Amino acid sequence: MAIEHEAPGVVHRPPLETSSLRTFPWWLVAILLAIAYMVVKIVVDPTYQDAFLTIVSGLGVTIYVTIIAFVAALVIGLLAGLGRISHNIVLRNLAITYIEFVRGVPILVLIFTIAFVVVPGAVSIFGLNNSSVTLTTRAIIALSMIYGAFLAEVFRAGIEAIPRGQMEAARSLGLTNYQAMRLVILPQAIRNVLPALGNDFIAMLKDSSLVSVLGVRDLTQVSRLYASTSFRFTETYFILTFFYLVMTLVLSLLLQWYQRRLRIER
Amino acid sequence: MKRMALIVLAIMLALLTACAGGSPTGATGASPAASPATAASPSPAAAPAVTATAASGTDLPDLGGREVRIAVENAYPPFNYINPQTNQPEGWDYDAWREICRLLNCKPVFQEAAWEGLIQAVANGQYDAAADGITITPERAQQVDFSDGYIRVDQRLLARKGEKRFASMEEFVANPQLRLGTQTGTTNYETAKQLLPENRIQAFEQFPFAVQALINGDVDAVIMDETAGQGYVGTNAEQLELIGPPIKSDELGFIFPKGSDLVEPVNRALAVMRENGTLDALSKKYFSAEFKLPGSQ
Repeated sequence: MAIEHEAPGVVHRPPLETSSLRTFPWWLVAILLAIAYMVVKIVVDPTYQDAFLTIVSGLGVTIYVTIIAFVAALVIGLLAGLGRISHNIVLRNLAITYIEFVRGVPILVLIFTIAFVVVPGAVSIFGLNNSSVTLTTRAIIALSMIYGAFLAEVFRAGIEAIPRGQMEAARSLGLTNYQAMRLVILPQAIRNVLPALGNDFIAMLKDSSLVSVLGVRDLTQVSRLYASTSFRFTETYFILTFFYLVMTLVLSLLLQWYQRRLRIER
Repeated sequence: MKRMALIVLAIMLALLTACAGGSPTGATGASPAASPATAASPSPAAAPAVTATAASGTDLPDLGGREVRIAVENAYPPFNYINPQTNQPEGWDYDAWREICRLLNCKPVFQEAAWEGLIQAVANGQYDAAADGITITPERAQQVDFSDGYIRVDQRLLARKGEKRFASMEEFVANPQLRLGTQTGTTNYETAKQLLPENRIQAFEQFPFAVQALINGDVDAVIMDETAGQGYVGTNAEQLELIGPPIKSDELGFIFPKGSDLVEPVNRALAVMRENGTLDALSKKYFSAEFKLPGSQ
């Protein structure tokens, strides 16, 4: 047998790129074909067109809610992530309590709880009228608090991945703990966690559909209203799927492209 | 190859944006465009082609003890709700169907279902019938078969007690500050959509959320069927009241999958119940001003 005569240490692996047929992104073609089919349907079929024109009115709200909530979640997540690794026992336990609390409760339950219990309670403490915080705002508050906890863990992992020597070097150069974190550790950590943040952004875009339970007129809510009064369930849910798929696919490809760029740079 | 795939993607996106680009104008036109389904509502009489047989009551069909799966929401008092004291479901629909099945010799099996998609689920044959205070409309009659109407109800405005900013739907519509709550997929929502721009309507999953939002001040009124509204006033008499004249009057019926063999027997049972006063007694029990939800003061 040929293998027995070979030098020890030679590992047999299948050749990496036998042909471009193997690496060709067939999955992408399949999804793009599905999208193309929907586009054609929307262009030629008036019932699909009708559904599309109704549902598209929720696109802005979905994007708006997702982006605002994500920016807020980044801030909350960074603070909670730093608190999570803080040496201050109070900060650390506060952060861990928050993270574990949110991670232990289903998102839908949290959305209802925050929108109908927490926010009205908080508002009444300040003696304000409830309607001063709209349900869209409450949806954003809920989503950002939920994703803040997820992102806190992402930031923590990113910071902990930076070798200890970096902090030691920064401190020995005379930087304060805060300066070292801000100028040395965080810039490196954030670069590390960008792909993970991208994934969470995609996840949040999808989870933003849950705010439809509050009557926020996002893509999902507009679709539910349309389907339940027009009985065009097929058209409605195909188009709704199509919207989310196009958005997440674009984001996912951007993320892959960015990760590839990051790899080459290193 | 990757590059090719990306080019294909770019073309797709260009197509998509071309579609979406046409939409801002289209979107504003969409609400009227979407309304052919809703426009024809005010003629409930035209809906079901079921003839009310003036049954004498003696020759009711015998269903042979078969099970009838009836979808209910359990969140639409006084038709169906969970009694907070016993944790058991009860309501008009339960009483009515038990009586119908007693007359027809069938076994009612109540199944809890979400309102949204309920009509579609019945149309697909997932349930044998549904009872949820369902307004008879021609659009729905294209999806499902309706029983004869068993009650006629008005749509009214439910408001916070002592509301001074409006006393009727017209005054409500005239004030652009006011926001109206309702439930997804109801005729109340459709009525609201005909009277108000969509950004003034907040549609919730279930009426209890809408009523909670009203009490919280998120919305200024809730449009709902008077029967249901009385149920909520009964629960929250010090916080809520029904105000203004009726906005619209509709008849309610049970729904069945198209071509169901249950429609005719149920109609005959309903006719008997109408004649012998059972329906009146049920109305008195659940829809009168005296009715209060269990657990309320």
